[in-house]
Amino acid sequence: MSDLLAARAQMGTSLAFHIIFASLGVGLPLLMCIAEGLALRRKDPVWMALTRRWARASAILFAIGAVSGTILSFELGLLWPTWIKFAGAVVGPAFAFEGFAFFLEAIFLGLYLYGWDRLSPRAHWLCSFPIWISGLASAWFIVSTNSWMNSPAGFVIKNGQVTNIDPLQAMFNPSTPYETTHMILACYVATGFAVAAVYGWSMLRGKRDSYHRKALMLGLALGAIAIPLQIVSGDANARFLATSQPAKLAAMEGLFHTTSGAPLEIGGLADPNTGKVYFAIEIPKGLSFLATFNPNATIRGLDSFPANDRPNPLPVHTSFDGMVASGFFALLVGWLFWLIYFLRKRKVPENRLLLIGIVLAGPLSFLAIELGWMVTELGRQPWVIYGYLRTADAVTTAPWLNISFLVFSFIYVILAIALIFFLLRLARTPLPKMEWAEVATGKSLAQDQGIAV
Amino acid sequence: MALPYIMLTILWLALIAYAVLGGADFGAGVWDLLYVGNKDISRRRHEFINHALGPVWEANHVWLIFLIVGLFTAFPTVFSTLSIVLFLPFTLALIGIVLRGAAFVFRVYGTRSDKYGALIWGGVFSFASAITPFILGASAAAVASGRIQVSSVNIQADMTGATWLTPFAIVIGLMAVALCAVLSSVYLSVEAEQAGDTELEQLFRLRAIIAGAITAVLGALGLILSSSEATLLWRGMLAHALPVVIVTMIVGLATAAALFTRHYRIARVLVIVETAGLLGSWGISQLPYLIPPSMTVEGAANSPGVLQVLLVGTIIGMALLLPSLYYLFSVFKLPYPAPGKEPAAANNDSLRYNKD
Repeated sequence: MSDLLAARAQMGTSLAFHIIFASLGVGLPLLMCIAEGLALRRKDPVWMALTRRWARASAILFAIGAVSGTILSFELGLLWPTWIKFAGAVVGPAFAFEGFAFFLEAIFLGLYLYGWDRLSPRAHWLCSFPIWISGLASAWFIVSTNSWMNSPAGFVIKNGQVTNIDPLQAMFNPSTPYETTHMILACYVATGFAVAAVYGWSMLRGKRDSYHRKALMLGLALGAIAIPLQIVSGDANARFLATSQPAKLAAMEGLFHTTSGAPLEIGGLADPNTGKVYFAIEIPKGLSFLATFNPNATIRGLDSFPANDRPNPLPVHTSFDGMVASGFFALLVGWLFWLIYFLRKRKVPENRLLLIGIVLAGPLSFLAIELGWMVTELGRQPWVIYGYLRTADAVTTAPWLNISFLVFSFIYVILAIALIFFLLRLARTPLPKMEWAEVATGKSLAQDQGIAV
Repeated sequence: MALPYIMLTILWLALIAYAVLGGADFGAGVWDLLYVGNKDISRRRHEFINHALGPVWEANHVWLIFLIVGLFTAFPTVFSTLSIVLFLPFTLALIGIVLRGAAFVFRVYGTRSDKYGALIWGGVFSFASAITPFILGASAAAVASGRIQVSSVNIQADMTGATWLTPFAIVIGLMAVALCAVLSSVYLSVEAEQAGDTELEQLFRLRAIIAGAITAVLGALGLILSSSEATLLWRGMLAHALPVVIVTMIVGLATAAALFTRHYRIARVLVIVETAGLLGSWGISQLPYLIPPSMTVEGAANSPGVLQVLLVGTIIGMALLLPSLYYLFSVFKLPYPAPGKEPAAANNDSLRYNKD
């Protein structure tokens, strides 16, 4: 593998791994906040048991998120020193602010996870607010830096030097509102459906009690509220790309030639060698209509860009369609659930097929996040800072990148195996008796370690 | 003070915070590696360390992230250059940091029910805890030694250790490990005393004294070596950093005295001052250079506009962060009960809530 490819592979693997934990880090604290609030308000042992269970899972998930995030912050320099010199100079403050948000998150997470016996119930619950709020803030800051890579702003290049830097303008670059909204909603969609999937799976295996139903409903409530907003936001994103990054849009839609009344290609393989999309369902004038509301509008194709400025449409188009399909599947499942729920006078539907759909929607929502990032990142190639710095020019001169990629891949595999092992074991621990006194003073993490606090 | 120097001071304070907080967490792992003996004490010490680290390690770890992002925002070329030249040691340290953090949570989860899991992850935790501060210390020494040339157009990665595996760098690396061990054993002495566990208290106290002596010897050795291997540092130590150096030495002796006389809380304050002095004297003595002999603080700094935004953001961030951090440590580390909670009501949360 060439050094450039090895570096990209390592960065891609790291991001693909980290994004799972980052998304859960944004979504899960909100669910815990709601569940604990409900538990305290209604003195409901089931909600309390759920909160405590989620908190224990979070302890592992967030730790893995913290270490995989550390890998990324190092890799920004270790793999892309030229990029970080540029990006750090212009949009660095956004990274620094994200650092603060993450810091607050870690502090209150420590209080939340280990403070069950040391804080009053209300103080404990209040600690969940800074966690999800700073989770939200860190997602915003970090995605704003990615937005800047897509639509660089807040600087001028003079004689090869970056000057007139305005970091706030860089942070609030044209892509920021679109990308940040899309990613934050994605966190809620994915977390909601993932939680629903976990409990849907248990219900399929016969555990149909109030504990599982409540968890399922909370997950699907979050998911079903966030997913239509997400689809609207995605649509706005694509429309924005038509003017901001037409090459990316062309790759996403598999549009090789600039066309008036461009059709929408659904599915299929966009082969850059032949310039054709194979096996796709074609909707005439669909793309022109979606992108501009005018069915006859002209949309720029890949051929309007120099050959060495074109992204590869094959993975971009496929990833894009995969993301959209996953999103619509989740929408269908989520809304069907609530439709039946309200039609049946608030009785939780436990239809087998629907439960299977819910179990599928969980992993598919995370797949959608991964594919969405593939679209953003691969669709921006060959640029790392769009129009200013090519990925090939940003990579480090250090050798042994193949070995580095192998070592880190190995670490991710080990971490994933251990994580799954511990989560499964946690899932298998028997539930407490569902009585308020029992659950509200249940074992905490600290007690689990065998120490009287 | 000029803006670049204000930012550098903030970053250096963050470095000190990482050393005294994160460093102690590393040290706890170092003790795990070195300990053989009585099973019962070993288990208690093990659980004691889990208990002490559990709530705070993640927050302690974030100082490192803050350092990195702060560095590449305030001094982009410095981070970029070091990432290339020190590619190998940084990668190794990164692997150590990752394995240590993951192994710690896995170990905590494995403690009770899974003997082999706990054993394996415990081993990974302690090994990574020892290796990482060594590499970080050696990398710092590489910077201080003035061997990293950035004047050339093509910056090359040092894969052979010509800058970071010199005798000087090895001594400083070992000193970093020893210092982490001192920090953790002093803190754990305080906590063992609070918990009323005399046996553990004695164990940690003895270790603190031994590791402290080793740190002092390595420090002296490093200083001697610096006269030939890191001349700029050496000259700085004897000139504008001399007061800090002298204070650091005195504080070191005072720490030992406090440990001898079992004044653990005083020892804890002193060892923090000692660490700040060590890192501070390094920073001050190599001024005005960030990477001697060619990259200065002013020369490497980002544009003033960015530094201003960063400074304002940092002030706002710290205003949120420091009280939160104080709250965290007050709940888990200070002897008095946390705000909003009477100690007697520890097991009556539900009843108390009913009365609300």
